[in-house]
Amino acid sequence: MPETLALVLTGITSGYAGPAVLTDVSLSVGRGQLITVVGPNGHGKTTLLKTISGLVRLRGGRIDLEGKSIAGLAPDVIAARGVAHVPQGDLLFPQMSVEENLLMGAYAERAKSVIAERLDEVFVRLPKLAERRKQIASTLSGGERRMVGIGRGLMMGGRVLLIDEPSLGLAPLIIEQIYLVIADLKASGRSILLVEENPARVVDLADSIHLLDNGAIVWSGPPAELMARDELLATYLGG
Amino acid sequence: MTMSSTPTLMARHRAPYGDLAMALLVIASLVAIPYVVESRYLLGQVILALFYATIASQWNLLFGFAGVFSLAQMAIFGFGGYATAMLCVYFGWNIWPALPVGAVAAVVFSLLIGLACLRLAGVYVALLTLAIAQALYLLIVTDTECFRMVGSACRQFTGGAVGFARFGDFGTRALFRAKWLVGNYAIVSVLFGFTMLCTYGIVKSPIGLAFRALKDNPGYAVARGVNRFQSQLLVFGVSAFFTGLAGGFYAAHFQAISPGILSLSQLLFIIAATVVGGIGTFWGPLVGTVVLMVADEAMRETGEYRTLGLGLIITAAIILMPNGLIGRLGDVVGWARKRFAAKAPSLSATQ
Amino acid sequence: MSASTLIAILTAGLTNGAVYALATIGLSLVWGSLGMLNMAHGALLTLGGYAAYTVVTTYGLPAPVGFVGGIAAGALAGAILYGAVVKHLLKQPSETFETNVLIATVGIGIALENTILLVYGGQPFRQPTSMDGLLRIGVTSVPVQDIVIILVSLLMMGVVGWILARTRMGRAIRATAQNREAAQLMGVPIRRVYLQVLMLAGALAGICGVLVSSITQLSPSLGGDPMLKAFIMCVIAGLGNLPGAVASAFGLALIEAFVQFGAGARWGFPVLLLIVILVLIWRPTGLFGRAAIRRL
Repeated sequence: MPETLALVLTGITSGYAGPAVLTDVSLSVGRGQLITVVGPNGHGKTTLLKTISGLVRLRGGRIDLEGKSIAGLAPDVIAARGVAHVPQGDLLFPQMSVEENLLMGAYAERAKSVIAERLDEVFVRLPKLAERRKQIASTLSGGERRMVGIGRGLMMGGRVLLIDEPSLGLAPLIIEQIYLVIADLKASGRSILLVEENPARVVDLADSIHLLDNGAIVWSGPPAELMARDELLATYLGG
Repeated sequence: MTMSSTPTLMARHRAPYGDLAMALLVIASLVAIPYVVESRYLLGQVILALFYATIASQWNLLFGFAGVFSLAQMAIFGFGGYATAMLCVYFGWNIWPALPVGAVAAVVFSLLIGLACLRLAGVYVALLTLAIAQALYLLIVTDTECFRMVGSACRQFTGGAVGFARFGDFGTRALFRAKWLVGNYAIVSVLFGFTMLCTYGIVKSPIGLAFRALKDNPGYAVARGVNRFQSQLLVFGVSAFFTGLAGGFYAAHFQAISPGILSLSQLLFIIAATVVGGIGTFWGPLVGTVVLMVADEAMRETGEYRTLGLGLIITAAIILMPNGLIGRLGDVVGWARKRFAAKAPSLSATQ
Repeated sequence: MSASTLIAILTAGLTNGAVYALATIGLSLVWGSLGMLNMAHGALLTLGGYAAYTVVTTYGLPAPVGFVGGIAAGALAGAILYGAVVKHLLKQPSETFETNVLIATVGIGIALENTILLVYGGQPFRQPTSMDGLLRIGVTSVPVQDIVIILVSLLMMGVVGWILARTRMGRAIRATAQNREAAQLMGVPIRRVYLQVLMLAGALAGICGVLVSSITQLSPSLGGDPMLKAFIMCVIAGLGNLPGAVASAFGLALIEAFVQFGAGARWGFPVLLLIVILVLIWRPTGLFGRAAIRRL
């Protein structure tokens, strides 16, 4: 049933110059699902997302977006096909205003009405950004920046949303707010692939969890099951 | 994420036998050349090549090893030459004592440039050193103020657009008569050999290691207590000493010096030689100089297209072989080793 | 100093400042978006000047067409520079890009300058793409061409500012300058952006070349002097800082004009250089603080 699957990775291998970072990783994101990849830092989670969006060269395997291969395409083409990547650490355009950052998200979209529609939706979901509209991105707080990053991803209007460690470097209270937004996005029917270090944050949210260790998936299953497996948590995530 | 094929890293892991063999080859060639080469023109060109190789090796020490992208190399060379010439012209010195003093003057000049530039980030060093070199050139060329009279002609303090001539030589003409050029050749060869030997010592010394650390991983090196500014200033001064010394020898060999050596095309030749040979490799500048001098001779027929050809060679070399001929050689050796190892795995296991 | 002398010095300073500002913006724009110091920028200036000359002299077309010819030649050369050199160097490891592209463009600059020398010869020409006449200002009069240069330069700065701030292409250029990876993720084809930036900078260089040659003379080394001045203005302003580039271009050009009046033409550049070095000793990060630099 390919039409119910938003994103399918089949046996992908990738990496920078030197040995491969990811080996034989397979997973899929169904339409409207939120799939989470957890694992210790430095074991390939970010590389996985970068491989999907084309920033890291794919060495082997297939990547299909709604039934069509996007393997080996340039990052800008992949983005235009509908992969919206919210990168780790936000990577905002520091000298642009909040609004300009958001508009950059809709770079591939030329219809003014569509852009205005998406901007309205972002301001509804993230009302804080409407207040900060004219502020320069580099002067925002960490939580606000994260919201701009997510808002910019939404402006891309992608078929699948990749979110890389949305809790990174934020205070617990702010993390809670960010996850409320993500839950909201899932409820609106978006297909999401989320990378997270701490599985506890996504227990109620994820349809399925993949445990990535040393560049390979070592365990997959429903979140509740992972939380019950103390030995897995202890081995891979340090308790 | 350092590429393991960069020449600096290769040089670190390679046994010194290659360098020793190359040194013996160079020495043998230098000894043989005056017996083989009969043409005075050709011997003159070899001497010129030795000067270029010396300057290029010092630019390589500065950029390839210490990571300072200075475009004032010819200015420092010229400063040494001018200082030597002016000591002879204005104070009546013999050329031999004037040479080391000229070199020290070049060091002082370079330290002033270094103090002004080296706290800046890489690309700004290039901009500012080029501006300083051009300012020096323009000041000399546009100098029209009378400083002294030679016969009925007016001469400027800096020598103006004409420069200085006939202020003394090595003394080889008096000593060897008709064979004076061979005498000059021997002197310049010794200068070249001495410079290369000292440069090798610097590259292999703890200071050299610090430079390489700064180039490969500035953050780590600074954390380990290497002072970037002081180390770069030191290598700037050292390289200026040999460059300035070469400038003095150049002036003495030709018995003349003029602002032409400060021009951009001279600098370009030095950079081209280093790039073609291999930036950051010890033998690169020499190999590049020889190759470019031969190419230049071959292009002599094409006359006015020489500069055009040189420009295109630089660009093509940096695109097609960014690690130069030495780097290409390393690639070939590495490829051959791999092939050999793949065919005879037992051999590689016993290594 | 009489009023007419003062006006003459100010006019010279502002005219040169306008020219330097255009040259500096071109260099700075390319640095800001590609991290590339274009050492062939001066040769692109020269090319623009000669292209305008050819259009007017050889084809007998009116001066405004010659002007457009200068712009087109610069933009085309920028495109060729991208396709023949920069595109290939971008494939090499990024740590060496900064120096390799510098060396490669040195080679291109020399080759281009030499080609112009071979085609047109070394003897200087008068630039026909200019306006004659004097404009009376109170007690004195200034050349109309000086006014034209200042106006054209201001217009071009306005156009560049408008492109960067208001157009989709400009926003993509700024996004690429500020965060290359993020721009790619937003669907910006960064290679096309690089091409656009080099064409834009080439066009600016072409205009600058026409303007410079109209107050000096056409010669194969035409672009060398403005590029050298642009270099030290970039050192003061910080590469990639366009408003700073314009400010230091006009500031230093005015200082240069006064120095040249007071001490003779040959001292203009050395004094500028000395000022730059003193400023750097005072503020090693440049006049506008390179740490908090505005990238485009």
